[in-house]
Amino acid sequence: MTVERGDNILEISSLSIGYDNTAVVSGIDLHFKRGQLVCILGPNGAGKTTLLRVLSRHLKPISGKIALKGRELSSYTQLELARVMAVVLTERVAPPLFSVYQFVALGRYPYTDFLGRLKPDDDKAVQDALALVGADMLSQRDFQGLSDGERQKVLLARALCQGPEVLILDEPTAHLDLKHRLEVMGILRNLTRERGILVIASLHDVDVAAKVADVVVMVKDGEITEWGPPEEVLKAKKVESLYELENAVFSSKLGTLELPAKGQGPQVFVVGGNGEGAGVMRLLAKKGFKLSTGVLFKNDLDYFVARALGANILAQEPSGSISRDMLLRAEKLLSNCLFLVDALPVGIKAFKGNQRLVERARELGIEVVSKDMDLLNLEPLIKDASRVTFKKGRCAI
Amino acid sequence: MKPAVTFSLLLVLVIALSLVNLVYGGVSIPFERLLDILAHPGDGVDSIILWDIRLPRAIATILGGAILSVSGLLLQVYFRNPVVGPFILGISSGATLMVSLVMLTTLFLKLPFHSPYITTAFGMVGSFLVVAVVVAVASRVKSGITLLIVGLMVGYMCHSVTSILMAFAEKQQIKGFVLWQLGSFNGFKWDEIGLLFMAGVPLMIMAYGLSKPLNALLLGEDYALSMGIDVRRTRMALLFVACALAGLITALAGPVAFIGLAVPHMARMIFATSDNRILIPGVILTGALVTSLCDLVARNLMSPVELPLSAITAFFGAPVVISLLMKRRVKL
Repeated sequence: MTVERGDNILEISSLSIGYDNTAVVSGIDLHFKRGQLVCILGPNGAGKTTLLRVLSRHLKPISGKIALKGRELSSYTQLELARVMAVVLTERVAPPLFSVYQFVALGRYPYTDFLGRLKPDDDKAVQDALALVGADMLSQRDFQGLSDGERQKVLLARALCQGPEVLILDEPTAHLDLKHRLEVMGILRNLTRERGILVIASLHDVDVAAKVADVVVMVKDGEITEWGPPEEVLKAKKVESLYELENAVFSSKLGTLELPAKGQGPQVFVVGGNGEGAGVMRLLAKKGFKLSTGVLFKNDLDYFVARALGANILAQEPSGSISRDMLLRAEKLLSNCLFLVDALPVGIKAFKGNQRLVERARELGIEVVSKDMDLLNLEPLIKDASRVTFKKGRCAI
Repeated sequence: MKPAVTFSLLLVLVIALSLVNLVYGGVSIPFERLLDILAHPGDGVDSIILWDIRLPRAIATILGGAILSVSGLLLQVYFRNPVVGPFILGISSGATLMVSLVMLTTLFLKLPFHSPYITTAFGMVGSFLVVAVVVAVASRVKSGITLLIVGLMVGYMCHSVTSILMAFAEKQQIKGFVLWQLGSFNGFKWDEIGLLFMAGVPLMIMAYGLSKPLNALLLGEDYALSMGIDVRRTRMALLFVACALAGLITALAGPVAFIGLAVPHMARMIFATSDNRILIPGVILTGALVTSLCDLVARNLMSPVELPLSAITAFFGAPVVISLLMKRRVKL
């Protein structure tokens, strides 16, 4: 299959959408190319579904223009549209007594004769679609007996065997477990790459959007607040204001949301580096500790995680070794801490200076917990921490 | 089992049962004589019983069962609701109202055209008035649920007028009316059979023509639209066919209960499919078979008293549906 790239398959200009002439979102100007994976983000009720329903012509726009393949969307007959565009809706469908194969074959509707008989071509399209979503082994199963994840894949296969150039999905990953969520997004990405299909999906997970989308569209307060490649659009401030996040922080470097340590618990020091400390810090933040960490280089994963978690950080520009000055400042921070977690990376010279912090902690009588031990073994310390009375320099339990 | 085999089997059963219906009854006709009488109609009692009573009744039963079942299937698919039947949209109530005007009041006694067909004619007028209301509403509202509620409300309104008429009616009139309300294929005339055939068969063929969009509608109107169906036009066609079928049979035989609700389920179990291309011929045969069987029981169980057909269909049919559903464990 030859994939034309570059031309805009869908162009939306000064579109206004809503119900009963009350605009939900207006002033929409967007254009998408073949082979793009577009994620629509926004809080509940912002109009994501409304936008998708207008694009799939389930709802008439209030005003504005939509051009599909250079032709006015409203000028398509229903059958012509069905051959270009397919949908996966949130509506739960479970017709009884349908095999997966029969169900998927319904997608051939726009191509079959007036009795809907399948020709060899149609059979091949159904098999292809099932294989594409990795559901070929489900084909003889009863549709009603499928799990949520399997059903979503089969719904996707039904849409695919309509032979669409544009695929519209409303919340395709809602109600799915992690495995199927990733699988479905993986399938969608493959469709764009291999088949050149334009995929437009509304999503809840900004994390996922950041990682798979070619284009993200942010819908909020009756307008498109931002749209473009996630690398440009998904900046911390924008994401936080999109969802009005107060307790979470979006890290564009990590492409993920973190819950900062706002706990009133005692201070804990993590000596990490080279990504070794990230997991421990998330755990401690979750348990309500205040975090201090250092000394880190500013290109370290631990540094980005610590920042997103709101830790006290001692960090320096990347170089061959840790500066003495930084170490002294770290020692000061250390003296306020309940315990220290040793998550030093093994065998990396640049971090050798941090070894000094571990020794210093022992001198001060601060408990040192090894990161090598199972993280859950921190539990006794953590439980005790809630009963702790806090003194400068040391703590009494 | 292949659908073709099942179809043939059902067809054989329908024919066999109809033959039983022809020979068996208050007066039994020996099977050997049956063919003779059919080939050479005469003036004998046997011949009159067969040609004027049993044969029209057997044919009406077959057609009526088929028509009710197709109507029920179409509406079940359209509303995506398994407890919907042909009378859900108030069709039987409309017919009942008009018939009650004839049977319970003296309004029409003075009419010059009073004839034995007057009940039928008024039943038909009543059914089609309701059909007209339903189709008119359907062209305006989008949601099937709204339509369903409108149908129910129209039904209640008709019913209330009917009950007022009953309050004023004579005892004797009420008995006749109540029996009509229970539905029966008794007393069909040949020209009524002709009407049933001429109107019913084309409508059932139209229903078969709708089987492809019907399959898509199993996924709901939104998906159907995305697959290229003109949902509005399909909905109008579907409702027209379903209501016209139900109206036709109600006018001629009264509101025969349960067949239209139960037979689609039986056919789904027999053919183990939801594919309407198989189910439409499937319910025609199953409907004919079940209705013939019920009529046989209704005529002979307490002979010479004939039991109301609706009583038999519901009393014996409901447990069958329940057991089929339990056995298959199908969520509907």
